[in-house]
Amino acid sequence: MARPPRRRRHVPWAYLFIAPAVLALAGTFAYPLIEVVRFSFYSGSLGDLVFVGTANYQGLWEDPVFLTSLLNNLKLLATVPIMTVLALAIALILNAQVAGWRQYRAIVFLPYILPATAIGLVFGYLLEEDGVLNRELRALHLGVLARDWLGSATNVVPTIGSVIIWQQLGFGIVVFAAALLAVPRELVEAARIDGATGWQVQRLILIPQIRRVIEFFMVLEAITILSAIFTYVFVLTKGGPAEASSIIEYYVFENGFENGAIGIASAAVVVLLGLASILIGAYLRLRARAAEAG
Amino acid sequence: MRTSADARNGRRRLRSGLPWLAAALAGAIAASAPGATLAAGNGDAYAGKLTYWFWGESDIPGINKWMQQRIAAYEKLHAQVQIDFVPQATDTLIGAFRLAAQSHQGPDIDTQWATLPTLTPYWEKAAVPISDYVPASETAQWVETSENTVDGKIIAVPIYLIGVPLVWNKQLFKRAGLDPDKAPATWSDFLADCAALKAHGITPFGMGNKDGYFGAWMFAIYLTQELDSLGQIESAIGDTGQFSMAQFGGLLRNLYTMMAELMQKGYLNPDVASLDLNQGWQLFPQKKAAMAFTTDGNVLAWGKAIGEANIGVAEPPRWGHGKLADVYDVTQSSDEFITSWAPDKAAAATFLAWLHTPDNLKALYAETGAFPADKRFPASAITDPLPRQLYQLDTAKQSVWLENYLPPQVDNDADLPAGELITSKSGTPDQAVEIWNRVIRKWRLEQVPAFHQYQAWAKSNG
Repeated sequence: MARPPRRRRHVPWAYLFIAPAVLALAGTFAYPLIEVVRFSFYSGSLGDLVFVGTANYQGLWEDPVFLTSLLNNLKLLATVPIMTVLALAIALILNAQVAGWRQYRAIVFLPYILPATAIGLVFGYLLEEDGVLNRELRALHLGVLARDWLGSATNVVPTIGSVIIWQQLGFGIVVFAAALLAVPRELVEAARIDGATGWQVQRLILIPQIRRVIEFFMVLEAITILSAIFTYVFVLTKGGPAEASSIIEYYVFENGFENGAIGIASAAVVVLLGLASILIGAYLRLRARAAEAG
Repeated sequence: MRTSADARNGRRRLRSGLPWLAAALAGAIAASAPGATLAAGNGDAYAGKLTYWFWGESDIPGINKWMQQRIAAYEKLHAQVQIDFVPQATDTLIGAFRLAAQSHQGPDIDTQWATLPTLTPYWEKAAVPISDYVPASETAQWVETSENTVDGKIIAVPIYLIGVPLVWNKQLFKRAGLDPDKAPATWSDFLADCAALKAHGITPFGMGNKDGYFGAWMFAIYLTQELDSLGQIESAIGDTGQFSMAQFGGLLRNLYTMMAELMQKGYLNPDVASLDLNQGWQLFPQKKAAMAFTTDGNVLAWGKAIGEANIGVAEPPRWGHGKLADVYDVTQSSDEFITSWAPDKAAAATFLAWLHTPDNLKALYAETGAFPADKRFPASAITDPLPRQLYQLDTAKQSVWLENYLPPQVDNDADLPAGELITSKSGTPDQAVEIWNRVIRKWRLEQVPAFHQYQAWAKSNG
């Protein structure tokens, strides 16, 4: 006869033990979040707030600069699959342990540890209309490819996207390379014994084995693109020309810090938070389904 | 004046760039120890600390050092007073003070750019008028106080003056077959000179607008020329009825059409949109552009780079047809005011007034080359021809820097992007005007108290 499960005793004072952690979490996460949401319904500055209901949200949708910023964030999300594919391809090559692969891995990781301000300065110089890149293109009789990379509304967002890929790629490579190293060698060897080609090993064994790492990387990068690329825009273009490269973070900075319009800035933060939450939710759901599928 | 600093609403004020002639002029005037007759105030009895948030280095390279020397001298004279000097960054000048004002903590004396950035803290009760603490006999000596006067009170004390002349390279003019000693005085003269220079393969006008400051300067210099009075822009932005947004928009459209034509004719450097103001300025001393607008300080530095004899300076060519077409674009740029929470405002005022003692004014010019904003500064102290010419330009006419009359949000979100739209060829003059309309509407809705204060100020100015 099976023993009945032991009933857990309810010990009210146990809550005392977790109270400090709960308070710390509430203070550091919940309170700021609640305040941001609250501010989004007010106008004016901190000392002189006026309740305006949902006017700030309405204002966002009527503000072409906000819509441009949102659109630019979405356009820049296109960098995520590009950098994932590139990082994966390079990680697979390194995983084949070509001569000097450890050194290559260190080299490709270098851009990731450079401060974005330094990257902004360097790329700002390289990508001027009369900068190094265009001068080289002209010297190679490829002047037709020369562009005003940062000064033209048409080119500026793809250019910023390219700089982001350049920097973030190293992180992807290192993450994927580490995951590939953790794939059991027996799997690869068994596949080879069964006659699998190198491409088949990569496509059917290695990539599926690190699928969760790839998913994690993609979600992480998508969140980064939505909420952590302010520095690139600030140092490369300051949102210009004519706000053409503004992103939501920059919009928040301009309105909140420079204009002191805390309400509209908070409303933009709430929208940003919503977008990031959707991504995180999608990722968690994906993980849950994968877990259910075994 | 707002100049580049690029920091986007991070403001950008008239920045003189380059190390301006401190060395060149050092010999011109004997640096004198600050002697010290206190100008006014009853703050002598104060014993304690004054925190001074100062900005000026990007306008006047070397001014931080000058200010630190003055503070040291003042502390020697007033052993019981300690002044904490805290240099401020251009990008955060407005935002940092806004935060300080919310908590009433931070500086006892603060620096802001002239007019709206200074009047706004006063309206928000974060600043007190300096004229309440300094006698009129003293303030009467300060120049450009009209930029910061409201309700008959002077809010802040000016330190220096900055003008923005047209400069031209005489050698390049000569190479293009132009009279090297003749500045283009009218717009048609200017266009004709540009055409001749371009025909000889010379970039006529070299500037940078990646940060929006060239556009802001064009607004400050040329929209002024279209106005009959400053009341027109104040009325349009403050919606007081005398001058409508539609009328203002018409003037803006003319301005941006003119800029678009300069772009289209190739009279501006082709990389104007990818260089910021400072980078664009480098084209002139590198002899890659024949003309530019720049600050007095840069003119003097460039004079050293390519020879003073090769540089001509004059007022910008006349383009507009308003009654203000004959003013000159000069301003105090930044100014100093006392915060409403300063423990002893009289002590702060005494120090600020002391900065205008003759010895300190001379030292400012000797050590930085900046022209002091004070009538007591003797023009005879300027002995070299080029600075004399600049000083004459700065002081001969009514001075206006129109950008000062824009609320910071409008300056940042409309003035800068609208010009960028034109120089990046990504929009039309009508679209540039629409940016102004949208941003002014947004500012009125988002900053209701500030809008009402602006409106009242505009009405009181008539």
